[in-house]
Amino acid sequence: MELNVVKNATCTFCGCVCDDIELHANHERIVKTKRACILGEAWFKHHTAERLYPDALIDGKPASVDEAIEKAAEFLYRADMPLVYGLSNVTCETQREAVHLAEIIGGVIDSHTSL
Amino acid sequence: MSCTLGEVKNRADLIIYWGGNPAECHPRHFTKYSLMPKGKFVPNGRKDRTMVLVDIRETPSVKAADLFLQVRPGKDFEVVTALRALIKNQRVDKDRLVETGLTFEQLQDFAGILKKARFGVLFFGMGLSMTRGKHMNSASVLTLVAELNAFTKFVAMPMRGHGNVTGSDMVIRWTTGYPFGVNLCRGYPRFNPGEFSTVDLLLRGDNDAALILGADPGATMPQPAIDHLARIPTIVLDPKVTHTSQLARVHITTAATGISAPGTAYRMDEVPLPLRPPLKSPYPTDEEIVRRIRQAVQGKPPWLPNSNGKRRLV
Ligand code: SF4
Repeated sequence: MELNVVKNATCTFCGCVCDDIELHANHERIVKTKRACILGEAWFKHHTAERLYPDALIDGKPASVDEAIEKAAEFLYRADMPLVYGLSNVTCETQREAVHLAEIIGGVIDSHTSL
Repeated sequence: MSCTLGEVKNRADLIIYWGGNPAECHPRHFTKYSLMPKGKFVPNGRKDRTMVLVDIRETPSVKAADLFLQVRPGKDFEVVTALRALIKNQRVDKDRLVETGLTFEQLQDFAGILKKARFGVLFFGMGLSMTRGKHMNSASVLTLVAELNAFTKFVAMPMRGHGNVTGSDMVIRWTTGYPFGVNLCRGYPRFNPGEFSTVDLLLRGDNDAALILGADPGATMPQPAIDHLARIPTIVLDPKVTHTSQLARVHITTAATGISAPGTAYRMDEVPLPLRPPLKSPYPTDEEIVRRIRQAVQGKPPWLPNSNGKRRLV
């Protein structure tokens, strides 16, 4: 099968953010990494494009993404002091959206830095 | 006083790691940025550089060091303070150094090495910033580095872990003016670490809902904080069903950052880099889900903060 080769891919596992990694992937998983360290290689091979989990869960039961979004919005809207926390393993674009959401719901936004 | 890792590669002839174990936690830091590469002003690479490791125990990073200084746990602040005095040739009480685990001679030598450098860089890790003294330790090494600039060029850089945590500092800083722990309850940003930091908020039980993304506090936080997350409606966005998802009311599976979700991430030296994901995920990205939650909230009647902290519909 034809492998999709990505040159200069970026590893986000640690703060080094190495951007010289070569990845060989089929449609489902990364089969080969070049120049990544053991942590980076494990990180890249660990995540696949398989459908391993339900799209969403509400109270532990599978649900659709639309239902889960509606439920999430309801909880955050009703709260007096909601918290938006984490933000380590997401892109800057997501972080910007998260700040916007925190402003709309009038919440606290925080990251791992505060630990 | 910081710089990029490119400058470290091209200029640094003295590299100090304080309270960190790069060999195991940032495996390519030595080879890609700091110790090994040949640079413009350090043409012979490793041979032109001196590496000093300061830590409380021997780690695999010791093998890469020219000099290893083992500090007694919790005594970093005292060591830094003594160094600040020594570089200025001020008097230091030898007897009081005993408790640091280092001798006067060792510290005197180290102070000499610091002053002799052409371009020094001090990388400090969690062993410094997360132990006794915490941000006072970080502040003290930053002061030491600032004072060293009276003698030579010196910079300091935190060794950040956790993927794009540097990016969250940057993004929250340019959107709210503060780097983390920002409270927007009153409609404008307020910053007070210790009051609006997540662990403190959760331990006091202040929050009545939580959205967790790109983290798994259910596996890392103190148990009483986790208990509070289980009491309130918690929402988790993550590529996997995590510990936190299991105690949450809502979990939404998202694409994995950098592997099947595109975007930007910041390196520890605050250089932004584009991600080049090789896979296509069957799940939506975090960015899309957060945006859709925000749009759903904006579809509801607006509210104003009340003096009692509760919301009032307008
Ligand atoms: S390849 Fe290794 S050193 Fe580079 S970012 Fe990934 S985990 Fe860190």
